[in-house]
Amino acid sequence: MIPPPMPTAGGAIPLTHVLTIGAGLFTIGLFGALSRRNAIGILMAIELILNATALNLVAFNAYQGPPGAPALGQTFAIFVIGIAAAGAIVGLALILAIYRQTRTILADEIHLLKG
Amino acid sequence: MEPSWLLTQLRHIAHASFYLLGGMTLAAALGMVLTRNLFHSALCLGVALLGVAGLYLYLGAEFLAVVQVLIYVGAILTLLVFGVMLTARMADPTVPPLNRQAWAAALVALGIGWALVTALARTPALGQAPATVVPLTELGAGLVTTYVLPFEVLSLILVGALVGAIVIARKPE
Repeated sequence: MIPPPMPTAGGAIPLTHVLTIGAGLFTIGLFGALSRRNAIGILMAIELILNATALNLVAFNAYQGPPGAPALGQTFAIFVIGIAAAGAIVGLALILAIYRQTRTILADEIHLLKG
Repeated sequence: MEPSWLLTQLRHIAHASFYLLGGMTLAAALGMVLTRNLFHSALCLGVALLGVAGLYLYLGAEFLAVVQVLIYVGAILTLLVFGVMLTARMADPTVPPLNRQAWAAALVALGIGWALVTALARTPALGQAPATVVPLTELGAGLVTTYVLPFEVLSLILVGALVGAIVIARKPE
């Protein structure tokens, strides 16, 4: 006897609902990146924005993947995650260097270049 | 008890837990942005990242869900917590967490979010195909055939970022 196929949520949930979650994550991340004072907080918010992007890529791949390449969207998501990791590493190194120089990482107190 | 009845119930549970997971992710993200204590903020980010990993499972991206947990929660979040602790004075909860332009930032973010959601509401239903699990072999084969050049460039970028980070963060002699 062949077992019945496992229920997947994809059939029941419209794509736009997944995309709405992605849009919400992006909006929250954007607000955080614009309004946080602590530079590490800004970095976290940027990670959230990149996560929203990757989520949308995977969602489009699951519902409307290109016929010849079923994993194209996921490949792009892997690249997004890799670039995000590189960005986080360099960003944190810069924040630590700035902290060592000025003893602050509050973005509105770092105004070395302000005329 | 009919098997089809059980299947329908299972589908309902899967359906409901998807929205629960999405709501949890959004709530954790909101908590991350609004908490005063930066360490709590990092913990909220961890919950949000795990929620996104769960959503990946729903969308048939098992490998990406594992990668999300390993790289984001395992590596990037640890790094961020290190950063928070090395700059411990800055995580003082009495320091106001948001800058003076917080209201303008909220306006901009809400405007863009509103535009995105209205655009989504006007979009006709895009594809009804159930999420099928993409085989991992497909993903791996793509990375070493069609997309081998961007893949190698990505590894170069990562090496460059690592070396650069060490040079920048090193104590001056």
